Amino acid sequence: MKNCLGIISFSNDLDKNFGTLCNHRPAAMLPFGGRYRLIDFFLSNMVNHEITTIGMFTGTKIRSVMDHIGSGKPWDLNRRFNGLFVFPPLYDDYTAKSLGNINLFHTNEPFFRNSSEENMFICNTSMLYKADLECAYDYFKETEADVTMIYKKVKDPGGRFINCDKISIKEDGTLDHLGTNLGTEESFNLFLGSVFIKKSFYLKIVRDAIETGTANYLKEALLNNRRKHKFNTFEHEGHVESIRNVKNYFDANMNLLDSEIYKELFSNYGTVYTKTKDEPSTFYKDEAKVSNSLIANGCILDGNIQNSVIFRGVKIGKNAIVKNSILMQKAVVEEGAVIVNAIVDKYTRIEKGVEVIGNQTVPYVVEKNLRIGKEDK
Amino acid sequence: MPPFTSESGGRWYKGTANAIYENVNFIEYLDPNYVLILSGDHIYKMDYKKMLDYHIEKQAHCTISVIEVPWDEASRFGIMDADEDGRITEFAEKPENPKSNLASMGIYIFNWDALKAYLEMDANDPDSSNDFGKNIIPKMLADKNKMCAYTFEGYWKDVGTVKSYWEANMDLLSEDNELNLYCKDWRIFTKNRNLPPQYVSDRAVVKNSLVNEGCIIDGHLEKSILFSEVSVEKGAKVCNSVILSGSVIEEGATVCNAVVMEGVRVKKGTSIGEENGEHVYLVSKDEIIKE
Repeated sequence: MKNCLGIISFSNDLDKNFGTLCNHRPAAMLPFGGRYRLIDFFLSNMVNHEITTIGMFTGTKIRSVMDHIGSGKPWDLNRRFNGLFVFPPLYDDYTAKSLGNINLFHTNEPFFRNSSEENMFICNTSMLYKADLECAYDYFKETEADVTMIYKKVKDPGGRFINCDKISIKEDGTLDHLGTNLGTEESFNLFLGSVFIKKSFYLKIVRDAIETGTANYLKEALLNNRRKHKFNTFEHEGHVESIRNVKNYFDANMNLLDSEIYKELFSNYGTVYTKTKDEPSTFYKDEAKVSNSLIANGCILDGNIQNSVIFRGVKIGKNAIVKNSILMQKAVVEEGAVIVNAIVDKYTRIEKGVEVIGNQTVPYVVEKNLRIGKEDK
Repeated sequence: MPPFTSESGGRWYKGTANAIYENVNFIEYLDPNYVLILSGDHIYKMDYKKMLDYHIEKQAHCTISVIEVPWDEASRFGIMDADEDGRITEFAEKPENPKSNLASMGIYIFNWDALKAYLEMDANDPDSSNDFGKNIIPKMLADKNKMCAYTFEGYWKDVGTVKSYWEANMDLLSEDNELNLYCKDWRIFTKNRNLPPQYVSDRAVVKNSLVNEGCIIDGHLEKSILFSEVSVEKGAKVCNSVILSGSVIEEGATVCNAVVMEGVRVKKGTSIGEENGEHVYLVSKDEIIKE
């Protein structure tokens, strides 16, 4: 996908839905699938499709972003020319007059203007999927659209996609309107937040929006122009995870235990790259009983583990029980502790004999760096 | 540093010393005071800085790292006899009646001037097999150079055979193994292939094993070491074995006491090795070798 700029914009809007999980990290940096962060999938999707100039708008929680992304080396983005451009918010933004993200795009206009690419691919980090973007890009170019929006036809009796963007499409495949799914229809078209857009068109609408004050968000600016310009749509047929709250996030991790979804998200359309850690292999001790679980490297396991996702360097002691849970990097579960339906954040220690039990619909979240002992209960 | 090729053809390195001799120019260019020579087929964790400090302190021409081995195994190694001050008095390659139990670990520090002189001498000797252990070290000792033994304590394993390679892997599974791969202060770095986490199914049994990224385990795994992307299918049984990257142990197959090479498919229903047998089997794509 030459001649295409990649844009990843984190919004901090969803952070509040994740409670303590997003105290220190934006939702896009949430650990996922044993060894990744959500952002890894977006960066990998782009570099696997030869997008080599990527602008990343980090939102306000930059520390976590910089720690993981660094120079962009794991994605081969630490280049002499182009590569990764990181845009933290300006502390003292003199143009900050509107509420939304449109200012951010406006103040960084030189990046867009100076890059040689003529098209852009913008994605939304709350919609996780892997796809052959090349097909969508070809469609965008062939149809000479100003904007091509990627969507998926979903059946959603359970309300998994409530509050997500819903798109209506005219018969000729062009955009009719875009709204929020309230669950009134069981089947609908889910907008994945990914769009291809002509750079010249993008530059014009951002300027117009600022000058006329008609839009606070880039999405708004786009929609204001949908009648006068060519907006068409492209269907994605693969798996999609919407990660908008703790429950979605928990389910998305658990879905990886399904071998079809594991294969689609990890092996199809290229490798998912991440910051590597040089952990040794995982050691299963004599008493370990593991079933239906995803286990990263560097763990030492001696307990009973069932239907769980275990991140790098986790230690689980003898007779401990871990069931339907996510244990993040370096969590320690001591002998005889019990963890059921929980999300245990990084560097947490669950001491001997403690029971941490959540509800299947509301997983219990243990905050990062906590130590939970018997006396706390 | 592969061997050179020139207009008149190429040649392999004739011995360990010859490999260094052929690259003398490179070392000269770096202009070092000391040169540390290591072998690639030994497993241990060692702070070479401490050995170098010892070498400098002793003002030796050459320092050889040694390890105490059980007396009954001493005749399998190059044995050093050293005086109280650590100075080596005698060196014997695989002696029948060893005088000491200090075995050479194949780790040498030389003063570059001394080493260079001996490499040149060695290269001009048509009868030499151009080997450090066989030629350079005995010659330096015979010429009364100051050679010191640096005693190392800890895990050390020479993996010259399939069996010792297998043993070294099995050593990692013992609770008190000294190599401690999980030590944060002494990480072992390697190439990272960016593979997804391993998946253990609800039918699988995994016990006392080391498993790497990208593995999919649906069978029975005991006392084994799995490299990356190994698949152990339903009903397959793997015990006391080392399975290298990308291999597949198909449904119902049994693999015991074996080293399975990269990318091998152990076919459905095959049985390799005996659970408590004394032989180790090397399984490659073409054949199975018993050792």
